[in-house]
Amino acid sequence: MDFFVNDDQQAVLDAMGTLLGRHAGPSRLRHLGGDQPAYDRDLDKHLETAGFLDLAPAGSRNRLDAALVQEAISVALGSSATSYRLLVAPSLSVPVMGPMAIVADGHRGPVRFGADADAVVMVSETDVRLAVPPPTSDRTKSRLGWPVGRFSSAVQGSKLDGVDPQEVVSWLRVALAVEIVGALRFATDLTVRFVMDRKQFDRPIGSFQAVQHGLAECAIATEGARWLALEAAEIGSPEAACTALAHAVEATRVVFARTHQYSGAMGFTQEYDLHLATMRLVALRAEAEAFGRPATTSALQRWALA
Amino acid sequence: MEFGWDKEHVAYRDELLLFLEDELPGHWHGAAAVLGSEENTAYSRRFAGLLAERGWLTPHWLAAHGGVEASPWMLAVLGEELWSRGEPRGPQYMNVNWIGPSIVAHGTPEQQERYLPPIAAGNVVWCQGFSEPDSGTDLASLRTRAEIDGDEYVVNGTKIWTSYGDVAEHCYLLVRTDPDAERHRGISVLLVDMPTPGLEIATIPGVVGEHSFNELVFTDVRVPVANGLGPENEGWAVVREALSYERVGSPRWARAAYVLDEAIAAGLDDGRPIDDVAVQAIGVAKTACEAARILCYRVIDERARNLPSSANANIARAAMVQAERLVAEACLAIDGLEVLVYGSRSDHQLRKSLAAGVAAGTYEVQLNLISRLHLGLPKG
Repeated sequence: MDFFVNDDQQAVLDAMGTLLGRHAGPSRLRHLGGDQPAYDRDLDKHLETAGFLDLAPAGSRNRLDAALVQEAISVALGSSATSYRLLVAPSLSVPVMGPMAIVADGHRGPVRFGADADAVVMVSETDVRLAVPPPTSDRTKSRLGWPVGRFSSAVQGSKLDGVDPQEVVSWLRVALAVEIVGALRFATDLTVRFVMDRKQFDRPIGSFQAVQHGLAECAIATEGARWLALEAAEIGSPEAACTALAHAVEATRVVFARTHQYSGAMGFTQEYDLHLATMRLVALRAEAEAFGRPATTSALQRWALA
Repeated sequence: MEFGWDKEHVAYRDELLLFLEDELPGHWHGAAAVLGSEENTAYSRRFAGLLAERGWLTPHWLAAHGGVEASPWMLAVLGEELWSRGEPRGPQYMNVNWIGPSIVAHGTPEQQERYLPPIAAGNVVWCQGFSEPDSGTDLASLRTRAEIDGDEYVVNGTKIWTSYGDVAEHCYLLVRTDPDAERHRGISVLLVDMPTPGLEIATIPGVVGEHSFNELVFTDVRVPVANGLGPENEGWAVVREALSYERVGSPRWARAAYVLDEAIAAGLDDGRPIDDVAVQAIGVAKTACEAARILCYRVIDERARNLPSSANANIARAAMVQAERLVAEACLAIDGLEVLVYGSRSDHQLRKSLAAGVAAGTYEVQLNLISRLHLGLPKG
């Protein structure tokens, strides 16, 4: 058991920090459209060139390095489908390089990256299908921090032989858990800085115990979700993946409500960065639940309760 | 970074599980049993002796005192497996985990010779005289007074919420020896033999189970000066160090996870339907236990590396409290009207979870420390 990054992981994270400082972050997201951003192909290109999108070899069981990189991207509010590429694509039998979307069988509604994807993965109970190119799509107006589209017809695609749909869903859960963790961290860190600066009654509002306790609970929720997600990325078991996502979803409830509450009216302005992360939490939670409610699924994975 | 167990710890867990499967059934009432009943306290003495025979009661102690200087990870395995079975060590738990180590660190050779062998053999019960009627969370405000008279201290004051005070042979007692000093500076630790003239013990019935608390009233109780542990007036540092050995304290999450398991098994055995709401509550409780587990492991990793204690310990403790409460919620959802039966799993867990956020440091104090140490927020 070792909770510290090794030298190689640290080197990757340092290089990532530099790259993300230049090509991601709140100002980049605002440039792309803020809470209704465009897909960031430039970010994908920079990450690809630097070799950061192929950290988990095809079929690998341990995708911890990829998860650490995705966490950094998510904290920096990257606006592309890197989590699928880093964590889900290694479970597909063919390489999928460009922007991608992932949908559950029969889903006809809005989907993240639906209008930008070069490829769509469709997951059913029994198989995984890949559509390249995807069906035509329309961009959907959404203000939850992601580019969203809707396909004009059901995704057919061709069956990927030997690909286990349960495994794909499992890694999708890890990917979403890591993305949620990144947004939780952004929102909590920003709010901690806000309550230190914001003074009322001649003192920072962060010195009031009511505010401190709420933020401490944000930290507990975020830390729990973070370590469960990293553990799941390393051990690669479906139950660990689902448990991590379930806890991440629970954490979204705590962090969304409290960070907005303590940010006062600033928290519902466009100009303040909080919504860039918190609205994403709502979208990620909805996507998580589209593949089975995580807490319920996690319980059913351990016990025969039906 | 990696999250697997070393082979030696896996092997140790396997060996321990075989021993527990062999020993516990028929003797111990398991996680749903009531800690502190006379029967269980008696059994815990026998059980601790069996552990001692195998070197598993004080494996983390120095070899000179009968330990094998085991790693914090081995200790974590031991704690998890025993807590998930309702902690059959009973009161021995605090002896071996911090009272003993505190005597190792600060005891005179005579104190070590007298007190350590019985603790290492598992046949003695200690209680901790910390809280007072007016000093709980603000422990440093304690007022129980010890004044020197010749080669003895004369102790006057009241201690409260003292678990096992009614059966203990010794008390690890915090007293004020210098009332004029700054409040953290005038405190000392005394090792008090029990019973002793002038010490009256009254039981306070609890709602947590059969486990009751005690009030210890000291009236001119005479304690030899030689029974002071560590330097006089520096007891606050001694006790802080003692409590820091564990960092996260009892692995409550392991017991909570086990209770959840048992509640589900019992519900299924009884043929009671577990509806969607209960399944969701079970999932939420399970994931909370898992989060507490991984957060505890992070603290054990810090301990194993001899890193200083950090707010990660407070985060882990608070996560355990949350897990205990959510497991109680899940048990209530599973049990339905069965909660009406005293001693049912839901009734039991509800009572247990009441104490989780209070015993060994309140939840709110953990949140205060997380705010200050982890988030860097100013003191209010």
